Amino acid sequence: MIYEKHYVWSILLRLYHWSLVSSIVTLAITGFYINSPWTLTTLEGTGLYPMLTMRNIHGLAGYLFTAAILVRLFLLLCGNRHERILDMLPVTSRNIRNTSTTFYSYSYISDYHDHERLGHNVIAGMIYILTLIVALFQMASGFYLRLPESVFWQKWGVTLFGTQQHARFEHHLLMWYFIIFAFIHIYLVIWNDVKHSDGITSSIFTGNKFRPRGIK
Amino acid sequence: MTDTENNNDLELQLNRRGFLKGCTMVAAALGISEAMIPKLVEAATTAQRPPVIWLHFQECTGCTESLLRASHPDIGRLILDIISLDYHETVMAAAGHQAEKSLHDTLDKYAGKFLCVIEGAIPTKDKGIYCKIAGRTAVDILAEVAPKAAAIIAIGSCASYGGIQAASPNPTGAKGVQDLVSGTPVINIPGCPPNPISFLGTVLHYLTFNNRLPVTDNLGRPLFAYGRRIHDHCERRAHFDEGRFAEEFGDFGHRNGYCLYKVGCKGPETFSNCPSARFNDVDVWPVSVGHGCVGCTEPNFWDTMTPFYERLPNVKIPGIGGSTDVDSAGKKILGVAAAAVGIHAAIGIGKKVIKGCGCKNEKKES
Repeated sequence: MIYEKHYVWSILLRLYHWSLVSSIVTLAITGFYINSPWTLTTLEGTGLYPMLTMRNIHGLAGYLFTAAILVRLFLLLCGNRHERILDMLPVTSRNIRNTSTTFYSYSYISDYHDHERLGHNVIAGMIYILTLIVALFQMASGFYLRLPESVFWQKWGVTLFGTQQHARFEHHLLMWYFIIFAFIHIYLVIWNDVKHSDGITSSIFTGNKFRPRGIK
Repeated sequence: MTDTENNNDLELQLNRRGFLKGCTMVAAALGISEAMIPKLVEAATTAQRPPVIWLHFQECTGCTESLLRASHPDIGRLILDIISLDYHETVMAAAGHQAEKSLHDTLDKYAGKFLCVIEGAIPTKDKGIYCKIAGRTAVDILAEVAPKAAAIIAIGSCASYGGIQAASPNPTGAKGVQDLVSGTPVINIPGCPPNPISFLGTVLHYLTFNNRLPVTDNLGRPLFAYGRRIHDHCERRAHFDEGRFAEEFGDFGHRNGYCLYKVGCKGPETFSNCPSARFNDVDVWPVSVGHGCVGCTEPNFWDTMTPFYERLPNVKIPGIGGSTDVDSAGKKILGVAAAAVGIHAAIGIGKKVIKGCGCKNEKKES
């Protein structure tokens, strides 16, 4: 079997992915600290500002997260054909077919693999769109909590989340969505890489995927 | 704010010094220039005192108590001095039919001109039978008075957002004034109880600036009093930034005045001027005496700010009932996901063992 190399993920998409990964890891760690600081909390006269530092890093990572999400939203409309929203949702007959073959493959009912498709499978695509929506709420609640006196964020914050306490609660709950998402995402990437030979793991580093020669 | 000269006697008459001091305090609370103080004084001394109807519904009278028994006497007296309190069930001399007559006289004579102050939530369930005054329900009284008022000031968290009566499961269908009144401007002075300064500031603002109510936030609270989070001007904030926390009540950190964040202080979620305006003439507020803020100026604080000694509300477990904290709920869901992943992987491996290598199959197919 001879495989040929195809350039699938643009540099911008890979930058988005790794910005998102690093920001989510940073946000979760600093977020846990901000919710429940675990450092020695009775230490005096150290000149350290652990909470201030954690909140600053959390804010910085929040802006990176926001930038990454905005880039992905741009790519949904203006990226290459694998990155655009039409390739990710079951809106074409090709995508609807892929939804069912992916489902059968994931549930071990069939071993059929759609070699023709180089981008996301459609189940992954739908979950990514959901994740983007969750990310928008996470961003909005984050800005609402960070800029409580801003008229703009107060208006939207009260409408979307309610009081600051509601927003903080929902912000914390949604963090768990990202943790669980990351866990399942990594598992399924490994699962796909074990099962198929299209080089899914390295594709997010190099942008290249592989498929047997001759498939159009 | 200490007024030592008036501590031990109960002078009914407000002296000029106390009057000017009260006006200055209000100017400070409103955040207006000292050049405006003469205008405040002028507005407060005008011969035409605005008639006020003060309605009590589902409440504990704590807001009135906090206002009138202000141990700093100037504030309470100033309020009684600058407004004409025509109907107030706690302090009026009239009773029974006389009181009702006074209410209706004011309604007729000053329609469209009087200020209406409402204390307490309004029960709406079962046609409002859970609160009746003179044989009429609170809903009826509000429906009669509200359209005739120039403006409504909802004092306290109950009148603003329903308060403890509206806490889940809200058996009487209690609601705040703003949910029931349309057409008449409503301003909320929430708090349990609110600081008298915030109420007085609103009234004086109204009188000084040609019957205009102060600018409010999106929850109808005046920005001069509810524009900042407690946490952002708390005297314990430095301890927060430097990571010094009371871990539990009575421990080393608590005794040393550290931040109360870890024992559930809701200052970071609550908008109020408590740390700067403070209460009574000994300048205290909850956090200054070692108890975290419970968020009493926020809507539905009985539901959302509880447990009072934890940072976040619990998550209700669907189906089974009961509740658990956010992080243990998150960990449980993550555990379920891990178990599902384990089973999924095991099935894959099992299938491979039975059928041979999965990747070979794939190559055969293609």
